[in-house]
Amino acid sequence: MATPKKLSFDALVLGGGIAGLEAALNLAEQDFSVVVVEQDASIGGKMIRLSKVFPTLDCSSCITTPKMAAAAHHPQITILTYCELQTLKRQNGGLVAGIVQKPRYVDAEKCIGCRQCEYQCPVLVPDAEQGGLAARKAAYIPFSNAIPQTALIDTANCILCGRCAKICPTQAVDYFEQPGEFTLTAGAAVIATGFEMIPLKDKVQYGQGQIPNVITALQMERLLAPHGPYNRVLRPYDGMEPDNIAFIQCAGSRDQSLGLGYCSRVCCMYAVKEAMLLSGALPLADITVYYMDIRAFGKGYEQFYQTAQAMGVNFVKGKVAYLDPGENGAVKVRYESQDAAGGVQVAEHDLVVLSLGLVPAWDPQGRCVLSTAGDKFIKTVKPKTSPTLTDLEGVFVAGAAAGPKDIVDSIVEAGAAAMEASRYLTSVSSKQ
Amino acid sequence: MEAAKANGKILILAEDACAYPGADAAGQGHMSYSANTYIMRVKAAVLFPEQFYLDCFHKGIAGIIIMSCGVETPYHGAYEALARRIDRVYALMKQEGLDIRRLRLTAICTVCTRAFIKEVQQMQDLVSQLGPPGSEPAAAAGAA
Amino acid sequence: MAKKKKPEPKTEPTTGGKVGVYVCHCGGNISDAVDVEQVCAQARKIPGVVVARDNMFMCSDPGQEMIIEDLKSGLVDRVVVASCSPSLHETTFRSALARAGANPYVYEQANLREQVSWVHHGPAATSKASRLVAAAAAKAGQLKPLAPLRVEVQPRAAVIGGGVAGLKSALELAQRGQEVILLEKSPFLGGQVAQLDRLAPLGETAARIIGELAAAVLQHPAIKVYTCVQVEGFEGYIGNFKLKVIRRPPGGGEYAAQLSTLSQSGQGLGEFVPFVGLMPASIPETQEDIHLEAGVIILATGMRPYGPRTGEYGYQKFPQVVTLPEFIRLLAAAPPGDTLALEGRPIRGAALIHCVGSRQIPGVHEENEGGYLNEYCSRTCCGASLYAANLLRENYPQTRIFDFYRDIRTYGRGQEELYTQAAHNQAVFFRFEAGEEPQVLENPDPQGPPLLVRVQDVLTFGEEIEVPVDLVVLAVGQEPNPVADLVEKMKIPVAADRFLQEVHPKLRPVEVAVAGIFLAGACQAPFDVGETCAAAGAAAVKAAAILSRGYVELDPFVAEVDLSKCQGAGACVEACLADGALTMVELEVGGQKVKRAQVNPVLCIGCGACVAVCPENAINVQGWTLKQFESMVDMVVSDEYLEGA
Repeated sequence: MATPKKLSFDALVLGGGIAGLEAALNLAEQDFSVVVVEQDASIGGKMIRLSKVFPTLDCSSCITTPKMAAAAHHPQITILTYCELQTLKRQNGGLVAGIVQKPRYVDAEKCIGCRQCEYQCPVLVPDAEQGGLAARKAAYIPFSNAIPQTALIDTANCILCGRCAKICPTQAVDYFEQPGEFTLTAGAAVIATGFEMIPLKDKVQYGQGQIPNVITALQMERLLAPHGPYNRVLRPYDGMEPDNIAFIQCAGSRDQSLGLGYCSRVCCMYAVKEAMLLSGALPLADITVYYMDIRAFGKGYEQFYQTAQAMGVNFVKGKVAYLDPGENGAVKVRYESQDAAGGVQVAEHDLVVLSLGLVPAWDPQGRCVLSTAGDKFIKTVKPKTSPTLTDLEGVFVAGAAAGPKDIVDSIVEAGAAAMEASRYLTSVSSKQ
Repeated sequence: MEAAKANGKILILAEDACAYPGADAAGQGHMSYSANTYIMRVKAAVLFPEQFYLDCFHKGIAGIIIMSCGVETPYHGAYEALARRIDRVYALMKQEGLDIRRLRLTAICTVCTRAFIKEVQQMQDLVSQLGPPGSEPAAAAGAA
Repeated sequence: MAKKKKPEPKTEPTTGGKVGVYVCHCGGNISDAVDVEQVCAQARKIPGVVVARDNMFMCSDPGQEMIIEDLKSGLVDRVVVASCSPSLHETTFRSALARAGANPYVYEQANLREQVSWVHHGPAATSKASRLVAAAAAKAGQLKPLAPLRVEVQPRAAVIGGGVAGLKSALELAQRGQEVILLEKSPFLGGQVAQLDRLAPLGETAARIIGELAAAVLQHPAIKVYTCVQVEGFEGYIGNFKLKVIRRPPGGGEYAAQLSTLSQSGQGLGEFVPFVGLMPASIPETQEDIHLEAGVIILATGMRPYGPRTGEYGYQKFPQVVTLPEFIRLLAAAPPGDTLALEGRPIRGAALIHCVGSRQIPGVHEENEGGYLNEYCSRTCCGASLYAANLLRENYPQTRIFDFYRDIRTYGRGQEELYTQAAHNQAVFFRFEAGEEPQVLENPDPQGPPLLVRVQDVLTFGEEIEVPVDLVVLAVGQEPNPVADLVEKMKIPVAADRFLQEVHPKLRPVEVAVAGIFLAGACQAPFDVGETCAAAGAAAVKAAAILSRGYVELDPFVAEVDLSKCQGAGACVEACLADGALTMVELEVGGQKVKRAQVNPVLCIGCGACVAVCPENAINVQGWTLKQFESMVDMVVSDEYLEGA
């Protein structure tokens, strides 16, 4: 494993999703040197995995790739992918980060991204990038617009047949690669570690992922994406085109039974968006959204919600109590209706999408003395006047790392975090 | 060579912000399409005057696909201006007896690989049916 | 701070026409489908091509060295690399050119991987590759050296608006080492936040928030604050804005109420006064014109609460109907007790009505006085209302709360807890549908409270319910401050919702169509204080990048007029999509005064809309000329270089 050429930076950005990239770009544009540490094999975060984004319905990739490329090509930005942050602490007036480079089993310096290894690899495994609905190889580049375009080998599934090593034109495959450890120093850090969806298995009432044709909203994103697994919207269970699709809102949010009392803030809008895209993809399908409150609070969001209603998406006020398998792959939805009929109702749908809430993707515990709040996201100490300030000097937080947030709010907050960090770096350097 | 000539060449004006990377994505996916296609990277297709399109047909280009960013263009107002221009090109093509289906204005995004392939295939089918530009029977001109 | 020295690109004209073609095998990725040697052989027959070479990996050091040597030896002065997509390696090869001492823009890339070898097979692949190389070479032969445009920047930001957004962005920039001018229309700093008391969801006081920010702003030597000013004149462009500002005493009793509150408070200059703000300097006695120069501008013109129409939910018809900001003020002045008493009147029951002046639907709701509907959600009112409800229930346990809502939007951190807490505090909720808004009526029972709120309650499956109350609080939304004059002068787009319009909510969320002007806070959309401060930081960081560098480097791909061809037809000016980028100017040609087009490269966006309409092809986008494209097409259709190679 090659240690990065440069180990000392003005700023460290933890997380290469949209918030991290935006923060890094804003710092680098002021000529601060920045290192972005990303645990995934590609930068781009959750956003690059989405189909289209609300409320403009822009293609998500078209908005994310320019920022990914700008960061990747910026002379002041160093991107370290497939790296884990082990420790982050203050030392000698700055920050010291212990990093582990996970082995790709492909020499990133030599790999030219030609994918010959991927074509040759005989192993097929479910592709997490496609919500597990399509297959990928054991030697692979994560997705078409990944940055860097560097292959990696999934050793859990590799059968060591040697075909990738044999075909590689640059002899980049190295089955014996070891994890590498190195230390970075920085004057300031921005934590942009984002979110994960609540694991499906946590929700007993909704079948814990065992009921056929109950999928997550992120899987629906893939079904709707122009480069998705099936090229159209089909039920994963039997390949049927669904006529009747339901979205279950607050699946895991505002839900004390999971200990998640908070609102996840994005689920209403992504469900409204997916419902709209679905009505475009399947014009004859009935689409129902079961909700408690529609929280369309951002710029242009309420109008977006009204448009969805005008397009015929059926919004039903009611909390879904539980889901059961129905006949022929259908799903029974039992809910308490607030609408005219009232009471407990049962409806059947061909496909049910769970609008899962958001939980933090990273826990500083054991790595760094940053505090988290009751919601387990990073705690901010001056939420009104310095919303990105944490309780560790020189460390700022941006995006969903500090609580669920949509893309627009994450990007704006990343700008704010970069501002706070650059202001901090200025004050530190003027003291020295 | 002769077969390719008979097929006629297809010129693709691919806007840099969306369609050009979209075509690259089709390449990364090894999605095969016909080789008589020539992609020119452009910043915004609104740059080309009416005459450019006609000249291309005069030079023997059998079909042109403008792969724009649509209204998502980074150049505010450029798509609308482009669409108006293409309407004028259609009128001029009719005057010259060129089948207006030889020129197509589309929007292709950075991951719209299937749409890209579909557009190319449709134009390919069309130009092999129509033959070289100028060979269309007068009656067919302006159809569609 | 580590600074990378960028080599200055050379721009002296090179001789032209000596094109070197470098074809990459990409380790078989290209050469397995394309006969690279044949492509090279055919390339050598292309007019202008002096050398064609191949390499296993052009992007490798030896590959790049090959190009650098040919440039240094003078063999070539234009470069075509035929390899992968330019999105991967255009920057790589441009910097190789720069390392060889050449201009990085005399470079063109032919995409033989993504658009040939990976998608085509057989002889057709090689022939297409050759044609793409020929087209690239034809373009390269005509490329001219270009230099990025450099605009010097006035080392100063002008921030318009002295509310929380303006204060925060001014402070951030100053602490980053930049000079700031802060302009405020009123005599006070603090904006709308100063009109509040405790803020949802955590209860920080407006006094502390504004007091802290304003004190830091006033103490900072790099910030100059002007109050009682109005922007009268605006000109210039990014890096060089000129503002004419008039400072004058407020006329016609404007701010009279605040000024009298201030004088009654006994507080002096620079001290926060609740529901007024902080007055940093005395009111000017005479009018004064001030001329200011700034490199960037931050607009922080803020919002104002929606003012209900007379009679809307009984507003101004019944004295017991107040807006939420009015209620907050009343509450702050109310004496302690078991039951809230306002101006001596006990409030046993209070109704809170949400979405007043927000979420209005065309065809369902009545238009406001200006003939518009506020279709948007105002984002902050749910949290603010529930916070006020909790405060009321906790401080005045005998005052009951009835909350009438459409959707409760307590989305933010700590806000859902407000909702839970309100339920816990026994606030009674009623839910209504759009178009079925509750009615505020006079209570016909003279023994009961003065008002009656009638609603068809969704939560009880549409039952009609009447609630007698002593007070109705309207949770009014946010509207942008009326700044039409200012934004017209600056040519800033306004969205359909009348808030200022960013370029793109995700790509450029705090930028507007005019380069160098940024949006901070509620002038863009409804925000709460935390979100406003985040937006102010985001605007400040964009400004800081420009100011700390001291210059703006703009893309060299802008329009250029060929004066030897321009006849002054003016079509380009009409077609131009960037306001002010093209103008007609008077020039003297051969002793005669003539009109000619002139490009302001700072404003040009390089779209080429002008190119298409010029009857003489006298205007072109540098690096992407029409002639280059025509030559590329010629090479695509030509068979000459393909034969006999």
